Order: sequence, then C-alpha cells, then structure tokens
Amino acid sequence: MFFTYLRRELRRRRKAALVVASGLALGIALVIVVNSVSNGMGRAQEKVLQSLYGLGTDMTVTKAATPASGDAQRPRFRFEAKDDDSEDKQSSDRVMAQGFTTLPASTVTEVAGQKGVSSAVGGLSLNVVKVSGQFTRGQFQQGDGGVEMRGKPGAGPRYRIEGGGADFDVNMYTVYGTDVTQPALGPLTSSEITSGRTFKTTETNAKVAVADAAYAKEKKLRTGSTVTIKGATYEVIGIATASSGDAAANLYIPLKQAQKLSGEKDKVTTVYVKATDSQQIGAVKSAIRKNVPGTTVTTSADLAKTVSGSLSTAADLAAGVGKWLSIAVLVAAFLVAGLLTSSAVSRRVREFGTLKALGWKSGRVTRQVVGEAVVNGLVGGVLGIALGLAGAYVVTAVSPTLQAQLGGSGGGPGGPGGGGAFLAGPGRQAAKSLEVALTAPVSATTIALAVGLAVAGGLIAGAFGGWRASRLRPADALRRVE
Amino acid sequence: MYELRGVTKRYTRGKDVVHALDGVDLTIGDGDRLVIQGPTGGGKSTLLQMLGGLDRPTSGEVVLDGTDLAELPEARLTRVRSENIGFVFQSFNLIPTLTAQENVETALVPLGIKAADRRERAAEALKSVGLGERLGHLPSELSGGQQQRVAIARALVKQPKVLLADEPTGNLDESMRDEIMDVLERMWKEHGLTFVMVTHDSALAKKAPRLATIRKGRITVTEKTGA
Repeated sequence: MFFTYLRRELRRRRKAALVVASGLALGIALVIVVNSVSNGMGRAQEKVLQSLYGLGTDMTVTKAATPASGDAQRPRFRFEAKDDDSEDKQSSDRVMAQGFTTLPASTVTEVAGQKGVSSAVGGLSLNVVKVSGQFTRGQFQQGDGGVEMRGKPGAGPRYRIEGGGADFDVNMYTVYGTDVTQPALGPLTSSEITSGRTFKTTETNAKVAVADAAYAKEKKLRTGSTVTIKGATYEVIGIATASSGDAAANLYIPLKQAQKLSGEKDKVTTVYVKATDSQQIGAVKSAIRKNVPGTTVTTSADLAKTVSGSLSTAADLAAGVGKWLSIAVLVAAFLVAGLLTSSAVSRRVREFGTLKALGWKSGRVTRQVVGEAVVNGLVGGVLGIALGLAGAYVVTAVSPTLQAQLGGSGGGPGGPGGGGAFLAGPGRQAAKSLEVALTAPVSATTIALAVGLAVAGGLIAGAFGGWRASRLRPADALRRVE
Repeated sequence: MYELRGVTKRYTRGKDVVHALDGVDLTIGDGDRLVIQGPTGGGKSTLLQMLGGLDRPTSGEVVLDGTDLAELPEARLTRVRSENIGFVFQSFNLIPTLTAQENVETALVPLGIKAADRRERAAEALKSVGLGERLGHLPSELSGGQQQRVAIARALVKQPKVLLADEPTGNLDESMRDEIMDVLERMWKEHGLTFVMVTHDSALAKKAPRLATIRKGRITVTEKTGA
C-alpha cells in the first residue's frame, strides 16, 4: 500500500514533484560541477607541481637564500679581438648552477638519513648561455665624409671607417644533471621517454644526454644526434616528452657530467625527497630544517601556494563563488522543496484526516509524506547527477586552458633580465609559467555526495511536510465538510 | 454501547467562546440506530467526532464499552478507531489516486492484515455494496452514489461495532439518497451495528427509531415506538 499510494500520489502531483525535483537537481548539479571543477583544479595544480618535481617527490631541499654577493657570480663572456681578417666564429659557453646556489652533495646523504625520509636524490640544474658569432674589423676608406683622421680641417686627405661590427647569437638552455642511479625520483620522472631510452644506472659519468621533446624538435635533435655543451659532446640517447606543461630542463645528463661542466664538483642545487608517509610530510620538513642547517625545504603544499595566474584565479573562484553559489542554491532548493511539500500536505488535510480517522497512526501518515518527499529528492538527485555529469563533461570537452605561474623569489643573482624564463627549472627559486587544460573529473565521492544531498533534500522537505501531517487531527477530515 | 456523561466541548474563536456541546448526556445501546438532527453549527458533527474518538471533550466522559475515550492516550484511541469504528463522510473522503479496492484496503492497513487478505476482503466488501465490477476504478470514474458505496464498504470491511455517518446522503440526489440509505440500512441489519447518523434530511429523520436533536450544544432525544 505504501508504494502504491506513493507512486500514485507522485504521478498525480507530477508538476509539483517536477518543480521540487528540478530545484534540487539544479543545486545538486551545481555541487557536482563545482566539485569536479575543483578536483580538476587540484589535478591541474598537481600536474603543474609534478612538472617541476617529478612524480613521487614530497618535498625539495635547496640552499637557503643568502644575500647576493655583488656580481662575482654573474656570467662573463670573454672574446678576444683578432688582428687578422679571419672570419672564424668565436663562441663562449657559460654554464651556471641555477640560482647560483648549490649544496654539497653530502647534503643528499644527510637528508636521506632523516627520520621519515624514504629516499632522497640530488640533482644539479644548470643554465647554459652560449654566445657565438664573429667580429668584423672596420675598413679605413679615403673620401669626403667620415672621420677625419689627420691634418687640419679642409686640408689633406680624409679617411673614414666603414663596416666592421659583431654578429653574435645567444643560445640559452637548461641542463639538468640527474642521479642516474636513482631513476625513480627527480624531475625526469614527470617525462615519458618517447624515443630511444633513458639513462642506465651504470651511466653515472657517461657522455650521454636525454633531450626534452620540445627542445629536440626546435634543435632538430633525435636519438643518436650529438649536442655540445661547453666543448663537451654528448650523444642523445633518448627523447623525453613532458607529461604536462613544460619539461624541467631542455637536456638531461648524468649528475657527474653536470658537475664537471659547471665546475660544481660534488654539488647539487636541489635534493628531491620522498617521505615514507605522506601524512608525515610536515614532521619530515621540520626534521630536515632542524638537522640540515642552511637549507630551505619546500613541500608541494608550499609550492602550491605560489601558484598564480588564471589557474589560481579559477581555483579561487571554484572554492569561493562556486562553493557559496552551490550552498545558496541548495539551501533555496531545500527550502522550496520543504515549503511545497508542506503546502501539498495542507491541500491534503482531508485525505490525511480521513486516514487518521480510519486508524492510521500519525507515524504512518508522516512516513507516507516523507517517503514521497524522499522519492522526489531522489528524482531530483538523478536529474541533478545527470545534469552535473553533463556539465562536467562539457567542461572536460571544452578543456579551457589555464595558465599557472609558479615560483617565487625570481631568478636569483643576475639582476633584472638575468633571471627570466630561461632560468626556470627545478627548485624553489624557479619562476615558471605553464599552461594546463582544465578537466572536471567526477569522483565517486562527488556522486555519493550528490546522492546524500538528494536524500537530505528529500528528508528536509519530508520533515516540513511530515511535521505538518503529524499535527493534523483526524477531526479535520470532518471539519472540512462543515 | 456508548454512554456520554456531561460532555462539553468549547471552542475559543478570538474573544468568543463557542459551546459546541453543552453537557450532553446520551446512551446508545449496541445495535441501536440513532439519527442526529439539528441546525448547522448546532453541534451535530462535534458530537459525532466525540463518538468516533476523533476529538476529545473539554469535559465529561465518552464511554464506549466501558472505556472512556476522552481519557485514552492517542495511540490507543487510534487503535479503537481502527478496530471498532467505521466512518462514512458526506464528501465520501476517498483517496483520489487509489482504486475502489485500494480505498477499501486503507481501512485494513492499520490492522496489519497481509496484502493478499486485504485485497480479498476489500473485494468482498465492494461486492456486498454492489460494486463487484468496479474494483479497479478510481473515484473519479465512479458516480457520487458509487463513491459513497465505496466509502460504506471501506467503513464496514473491518467489521466494526459502530458505524458513524456524517450526512452520508448530503451530496447525493434523491434517487441516490434512497439507494445509499437502503445499503446502510441493510448493512446495519446484517452486521448488527450500532449506527449513528447525522443528517439534515427531515425525511430520513422521520424514519429513524430514535432521533436526537441538537441545538446550541444541547441534546434532546426522541424515542419512537414501532419505527
């Protein structure tokens, strides 16, 4: 009888039921879309962070920032003037540790020894600036104009210098010295080897390199090609494609080679740390800061805080406006559902009064009203989930591109212009801009939340109506007649 | 058997106090047929509500088979209604979305009778009022007289001791009225019910063996011999 009565009543009042269900559906759909977009933001942020960190890295350790010591570390390029008319190109490579700050390699062991650290691996991020080109000497010419070289004005021959100058090309790229013995950690993990192979664990000092796909395309590198860095030639053994955003570096070479190139023997710029328990990251961070002085520990949470740009704005919008809008719509939907259910009970006073007169307990009548409201809520939930899934699908299909600016304290010493995008790379001091496509993944939790809200909406509406129905007196069945 | 002693019902409307029933004393024996008549607002329906345990008096006793309904807790009063009292209303008060059979079944739901038994008993009850062919019809598909017969079947399906009818023919034309009164009379006789009916209809009142008239909350009972 319960279900027959319920089904027939809902069918009879299908317009009102549809209004209630639609209101709830709208609220629930909003919650799903906002939730899934928030999830998408989280994933986008994760991708951004992974592109810096690589997979599995919980935190990085870098050297604590120190005041810049003048221009001692600024790159200097020396070109010699030549007397002959040689057209030989001159070039000068400068290989600098990123941020000009390094840590002793022993820090890696020290960090690895801390409680809660599962593994630690060091890496050396380098910025290479190659300036190459040639000078052409100016030629002395006799004529009317030009620079008067000798004699008084108006008297004697005139000479002028024609031509001459310099044609130089500046090539800037980043190189990352990776610890090939520990391939599971570090920035290279966020890239996939799409051609050739990655480093063998035995290639600790081999003259081999893995090139980032984008850089390889630009420089027409392929597996088997060679690249020259500061006079040293490396064979490209593989091409790595970043899974999201930009790659951590243009070229990856074994750590020892990077140290040799930069003259930073036994030095690293960043230590990548994986914690044994992801819940204990805070404690591990504190332990490292305490026990390994002179370092800065950056967790992914810290780094996430430095994300700015449209990704950050969108995340803020989802967290702020989206959340409150969902809550407002839900509250309104719950209220409307409650009031409509209550008013429906008012219109059925005689009906419920009659049932009570027939001996139906208040509880049974209330259950009937609540049952109808809950089914209404569930219909709203199904509609809302369908609408929400459609919304999330549209967001994912459109995949709006969000820009994320990551990073903090600029490019380190070098002054304005010295630390632009080319200084980007792994580590705290990097300033990096990435573009990520926004998706709206709908999780099982979100669906469970939607179902919960639908039931809650139904129960709230049912509570309004049920309360009203429970207060009806059986005498009302007769009173209405008079 | 009903025994009403000093039953008073007062309503407060704003600053006015309305005495719907004013010290009513009344005895209705088992199997009696009582017709209650009186002007509108005189207290007829209020008296019927007291008899049916739908409302409680402000003071006085409404004793049914030794139990004072005025003092019973709500749950027990509900039980008394579900087991012993059948109601027929002027406007039939059928659930519009339920079929004739389902409407009759609603009276058996509180008794915890299984669905199959409910259906069977409801069908029998409808057959007994001449609606055996209309089991699956909705109230909107039935005439007024047929709807009232469904309501009578609903009132009687649980085999109550008492049948209370509040102007059962008030919404029906004359031919329907006679038809319904015939059914009610037949049922009263067949089931040995205590039958109390409120009516405005003087023709019906005249036929009653016992007539109670209520004016301004006060009752006068007229016994007719040989009726």
